[in-house]
Amino acid sequence: MSRYDSFVTDVLVIGAGLAGERAAVEAATQGLNVILLSLVPPRRSHSSAAQGGMQAALGNSAMGKGDSPDVHFADTVKGSDWGCDQDVARLFVETAPIAVREMAHWGVPWTRVTKDEHVYDGKVIHEDPANAGLITARNFGGTAKWRTCYTSDGAGHTLLYTLDSMVLRLGITVHDRVEALSLIHDSERCYGAVARCLRTGELRVYTAKTTVIATGGYGRLYGASTNAIINEGSGLSLALDTGVVPLGNMEAVQFHPTGLVPSWILITEGARGDGGYLLDKNLHRFMPDYEPAKKELASRDVVSRRIMQHIRAGYGVESPYGDHVWLDIRHLGAEHINTNLREIATICKNFRGIDPVKDLIPVRPTQHYGMGGVRTNIDGQAYGLKNLFALGEAACWDLHGFNRLGGNSLAETVVAGKIIGEQIAKFTAEASLDVKSSLVEEHLQRQMDRVTRLRESRDGTEYVYDLRREMEQILSHHVGIFRSEDSLQDAVNQLSDLHERAQRLGLRGGGHGGDPELDAALRLPGMIRVAYCIAKGALARKESRGSHFREDFPHRDDANWLNRTLAYWPEGADEPELRYEPVKITESPPGDRGYGEATRGPDSAKP
Amino acid sequence: MIERELTFRIMRYNPDEPEKKPHLQEFHLTEEPGMSLFVVLNKLREEQDPTLRFDFVCRASICGSCGMLVNGRPTLACKTLTKDLPDVTTLLPLPVFKLLGDLSVDTGVWFRDMSFRTESWVHTDETFDPDAPEKRMDNAVALEIYEAERCIECGCCIGGCATANIKPDFIGAAGVNRVARFMVDPRDKRTEREYFEVVGNEDGVFGCIGLMACDDNCPVGVPLRDQLAYVRRKMASAGWRYQKV
Amino acid sequence: MKLQKALSYSPRADFIVEVIQMVSGLLLVLFLWTHMLFVASILIGSNAFNSLSLFMEKNYLLPAAIVFLVLVGGAHIGAVIRRIPSRWAEQKIVWKHAKLIHHADTWSWLFQSVTGAAILALAIIHIAVVTYGGIDVIYSSGRIKHGFLVFYAVLLLLAEYHASVGLYRIFVKWGWVKRHKLHWVLGVISVLTVGIGATVLWIFFTMGVHA
Ligand SMILES: Cc1cc2nc3c(=O)[nH]c(=O)nc-3n(C[C@H](O)[C@H](O)[C@H](O)COP(=O)(O)OP(=O)(O)OC[C@H]3O[C@@H](n4cnc5c(N)ncnc54)[C@H](O)[C@@H]3O)c2cc1C
Ligand code: HEM
Ligand code: HEM
Ligand code: SF4
Ligand code: F3S
Ligand code: FES
Repeated sequence: MSRYDSFVTDVLVIGAGLAGERAAVEAATQGLNVILLSLVPPRRSHSSAAQGGMQAALGNSAMGKGDSPDVHFADTVKGSDWGCDQDVARLFVETAPIAVREMAHWGVPWTRVTKDEHVYDGKVIHEDPANAGLITARNFGGTAKWRTCYTSDGAGHTLLYTLDSMVLRLGITVHDRVEALSLIHDSERCYGAVARCLRTGELRVYTAKTTVIATGGYGRLYGASTNAIINEGSGLSLALDTGVVPLGNMEAVQFHPTGLVPSWILITEGARGDGGYLLDKNLHRFMPDYEPAKKELASRDVVSRRIMQHIRAGYGVESPYGDHVWLDIRHLGAEHINTNLREIATICKNFRGIDPVKDLIPVRPTQHYGMGGVRTNIDGQAYGLKNLFALGEAACWDLHGFNRLGGNSLAETVVAGKIIGEQIAKFTAEASLDVKSSLVEEHLQRQMDRVTRLRESRDGTEYVYDLRREMEQILSHHVGIFRSEDSLQDAVNQLSDLHERAQRLGLRGGGHGGDPELDAALRLPGMIRVAYCIAKGALARKESRGSHFREDFPHRDDANWLNRTLAYWPEGADEPELRYEPVKITESPPGDRGYGEATRGPDSAKP
Repeated sequence: MIERELTFRIMRYNPDEPEKKPHLQEFHLTEEPGMSLFVVLNKLREEQDPTLRFDFVCRASICGSCGMLVNGRPTLACKTLTKDLPDVTTLLPLPVFKLLGDLSVDTGVWFRDMSFRTESWVHTDETFDPDAPEKRMDNAVALEIYEAERCIECGCCIGGCATANIKPDFIGAAGVNRVARFMVDPRDKRTEREYFEVVGNEDGVFGCIGLMACDDNCPVGVPLRDQLAYVRRKMASAGWRYQKV
Repeated sequence: MKLQKALSYSPRADFIVEVIQMVSGLLLVLFLWTHMLFVASILIGSNAFNSLSLFMEKNYLLPAAIVFLVLVGGAHIGAVIRRIPSRWAEQKIVWKHAKLIHHADTWSWLFQSVTGAAILALAIIHIAVVTYGGIDVIYSSGRIKHGFLVFYAVLLLLAEYHASVGLYRIFVKWGWVKRHKLHWVLGVISVLTVGIGATVLWIFFTMGVHA
C-alpha cells in the first residue's frame, strides 16, 4: 500500500460552517484536541451566505415586546407542522437568547435598537428609548413577534467570521480543501474518516475518538437551488453509506419563495420582513387573498405553494426561464434599500441588471433548505453508530419537522453547536481511541480502489456531468413543491436506473491530482443515493405536512403519519429502506397552523 | 439579438506537471442571455475540458472564492456578466497567492496567516455571563464595525497591489482593514500601542504606498482608502507618543 | 518573530522613515515651487531677476540652498530607496504587474520612481552648472539658448510630475481629501506651474537669441 498522511485527534469535525465551528470551539474550550475539515476555507462555507438573521426571543425591539421562549416554541412547533421533537424545540428556544448574546460577546456587530422612529407597512414604530443599544430584531415569516436578530444584510457572514476568529484564537487545527470520503467504522462505532486532499488528490486518514458531521445542506441535488455549489450532501452520504446510520425526514425539502430568476440566488426573507409585497402579472398583490392574516409572511412552505398555485391559475409573468411573480420593495425607499437591504440591491444589479429602488424583482420558489439529515438524538449522537455526532443543516436533530422557520437555521447552528458541543466534550473526555489498523487500511483501500477504478475506466460509458444533470432534473420535476403518486414513482424508477448507471462512470480527463472531474465522480453516486432517499420518502408519505405537499393527499394525517421517516441504505442494497419512528410531543398537541391549511383560492383574483 | 461568439484565453498551469510552462489556452463558446463567468467556466469544464480548475462556492458574490484577473482587472468571476466583456477575454489567476492549478489560487491560507498575524479576534479579559443581558452598543458603532467586516477575503485588493506582489509579508489593504475592524470595536481592549506593534511597520500600514488599486477594485466596495488612512493616522499618533517601556 | 528581527527590533523605525519620506518630500516640493517663483521673476523683468540673484549671493543663500538640498534630498532619497524595487526580479514583477492590471495609479507610481531617479541626475548637473556658471540674466539666457533649453524643459516636466504625484500620494495615504477632487486640483496646479515654467524658459530663450 502506498504511503498516506494520517492524523490523530480527539474530535474530528467534518465541516467548518457555523455548526461545525461552534461545536469545535466548545470542545476546544474544554481542552480537547480538535481538527476541522472543510471543502473550502472555513469562511467561505455556505453559512456566510445567510443574510436574514437568526431567531432568539430577546424582545428588545418595540415589535418584539412580550416575546419569550414560550412564544418562540409555539411558532417553531407550529411552523414544523407538529413534525419536530418538542423536547429539542424547548431546549433550543431556551438557549437561543444566550447563544446570541454569546456571539455578541465574541464580536458579532448585531444591529442595535435606536431611538429613531421608523415606518413599517404604513405604521410608525416608536422604539423604547430604554432599550437603545440592545440587540434589535426584524420580522420574519411564521413568527408572532419580531424575533430575528441580524447585522444589516450580513448575519451569516458576521456570525461565521466571528466564530472563525474564535477558532483562530483557540488555535484549533483547520484543514481546508479536504473532503471526507467515508467514515471508518465497524458497524458499531465510528473511528474517524478517510479523506481526500482537494489540492493534491492524495488520500488521508483521520482517526478520532469522536467524529462529527456538520457538512451543511444538499440543495445542489436539485440544480436550481439557492445553495452554494458545494452543498452537495456529501456529509449525508457519509452517514448513509455506513449502512447503519439513518437519514431522517429526507422528503421534507424547503422551497424559498423568492429565488431570483434565473440565477436562483436568494432574495432574503428580510425583503418581505421589511415590508416587501408579492405581485402577479397584473401587478396585483395576491398574498392577502390567500392568507389574509399573515400575507407575505406566512411560513415559507405556504408562501411558496401559494405562489405556485397563483402561477398555475394563470397569473404568472411569462419569461424564457418559466413563469414567475414579482417582488416589490420600491416603496421601502432608496435609503432603506441601500442600507438594510444593500445585499439585495447589489445582487439585483450584479446578476440581473436591475435596481430594486425603481424596478420589480422577478422571483420564483427555489429549493432552499433540507429539514432532513443525519438522524440524531437530543444530544446530537447519530442513530446506529457510536462515537458519531451530527449537527447543523446536515443533521435531523429534529427542530424543524416538516418546515423550518426562517431564522431558525442560523440559530440552530450556534445553539446546537453550543449544546451538542458540550455533549461531545463530555463524551470524548471519557472515550478512548483503540482502532485496529486493519480496519483503517480496509476503509482506505476501498477509497483507493474507487479512485483507481475511475482513473482506469477512461472508456467508462457514463459521463459524470450528464448523470448529474439528469439527477437534478428528476428531483426538480418530480419531487418539487407539488407532489403526486405517479410523478414520484417515476422519480424513484429513474433514480434507481441512474444509481445503476453511476457504477459505470468513466473519466474524460486524466483524473490526476486535484482533478475536478474526479472530485465530481467520487461524489456523484452518494448524491444519487441521497436523492433516492428523498424521492422514496416522499412517495411513501401519503399525507401533506409542512413543505411536503401531496396533491393526491392534500391534508395532514395525524392518525397515520405523525411520525418521522428514517431512511437506511443497508450495505450492498440497491435502494434505501424506510422505517418510521414517532415524533416526541411534550407540550403542544397537533393543531391548526392558522395559515396555509385550507385549500383556499384567490378570492379577489378570480375574474 | 445577434449571438456573439466569445473567445476566452485562459491560463493553464498544473503544479503537478511543472515541465509544462504556464500558457494561455483558447476556448470558444456562444454567448447566452444573462451569462456570467460562472456559467461560462462551468460550461467549458463540462463540455470542453473536464480538467479545467477554478473555484466557485456561492456564485452570488458573497463568499469571495472566485477572485481572478478578468482582462487584467482583479474581480469576482461570478458577478462578471459576459455582456460587459469584449469578444476576447483573458482570464488569469490572482497573483500573490499560491497557484493551485489554472485559475484556482490558495487565498484561504494567505488570509488565515494574515488573520493570525493581525490577531484578528476580540481581545478581552471579560468572561461571558450567560444570565446577563447583552452589553449595549450604539448602533452607529455596530454599523462602523460591519462596514469593515464586510470584506469577503476575495483577495482582489491583494492580487492587484504591486507592493503585495513584491513584498511577501505585506498584509495589504485587506489586512489593514481587518485591523480597522477591531480598532473601532469597543469590545476589543487592545491599546493603540499594541496595535502599533502589529501594524505600525513596513509589513503593515506603513508598507502601503498609496497605489489605490485596492480601493478601485474591491468588489464589495469596502471603503479601503478610508480604512487605510484611518489606521495610518491612528498608528501615526501611536507612533508619535510611543515610548520605550 | 525571528531572531534576526528580534535582535534589531525597533518598533518605531518604519514609522520614522515614513515620516522622513513625507516631510522631505514636502520640503522638496516647497523648495521647487519657491525656486520656480524666484526664476519666474524674469517675467517682471531682467532687473528683478538680477537683483534677486544678487540678494541671494549676498546673503549666502546659494550655499544654504545647496546644503538644504543635500540634507533634505539626501534624507528623501534615503527614505524612498527602500521602496524602489532593487532586485531585477522585483523590477520585472512590478512592470509586468502594471501592464497586466491597467491601473492608472499603479503606473503613476512607477513613473514616480523613474522620474525621481532622472531628477537626481539632472538636478546634480543643473546645480553644478548654475553654481559654477553664475546666476545672471545674461548667463542664464546664454545657457538656455546654447543647448540647455531641452534639458530644462525635461527637468521641468519631470520635477513637476514627480512633485504633483508625490503630493497626491501623501494626501491619499493620509486621507485628507477626496481622491477625484484631488486629481483635479493637482492637475490644475501642475498645468499652471508647467505653463509658467515654459514661459520663463521661452523668455530666456528669446533673450539669448537677441543677446
Ligand atoms: C442563500 C441562503 C440564505 C440563508 N439565510 C438564512 C437566514 O437568514 N437565516 C437562517 O436562519 N438560515 C438561513 N439559511 C440557512 C442557513 O444558512 C444554513 O442552514 C446554515 O448556515 C447551515 O450551516 P452549517 O454549519 O450546518 O453548514 P454550512 O455552513 O453549509 O457548512 C458546511 C461545511 O461542511 C463542509 N463540508 C461539506 N461536505 C464536506 C465533506 N465531505 N468533507 C469535508 N467538509 C465538508 C463545507 O466545506 C463547510 O465548511 C440560508 C441558506 C441559504 C442557502
Ligand atoms: C532626487 C531624486 C528623487 C528620487 C529618486 C525620488 C523618488 C521618489 C519615490 C520613489 C517616491 C515614492 C515613495 C513612496 O511612494 O512612498 C517619492 C516620493 C516623493 N517624492 Fe521624490 N524623489 C526624488 C526627488 C524628489 C524631488 C526633487 C522632489 C520634490 C520636487 C520629490 C518629492 C516627492 C514627494 C512629495 C513624494 C511623496 C512622498 C510620500 O509618499 O510620502 N522627490 N520620491
Ligand atoms: C541650489 C540649487 C538651485 C539653484 C541655485 C537653481 C538655480 C536655477 C536658475 C538660476 C535657473 C534659471 C536657468 C539657469 O540659470 O540656467 C534654474 C532653472 C531651473 N531649475 Fe534650478 N536651481 C537649483 C536647484 C534646482 C532643483 C533641485 C531642481 C529640480 C528638482 C531645479 C529645477 C529647475 C528647473 C526645472 C528650471 C527651469 C526653470 C523654468 O522652466 O522655469 N533647480 N534654476
Ligand atoms: S477588502 Fe475587498 S478586495 Fe480586499 S479581500 Fe476584502 S473584499 Fe476582497
Ligand atoms: S493597492 Fe497597495 S499600496 Fe496601498 S493603497 Fe492599496 S494597499
Ligand atoms: S463564488 Fe462566491 S464570490 Fe464568487
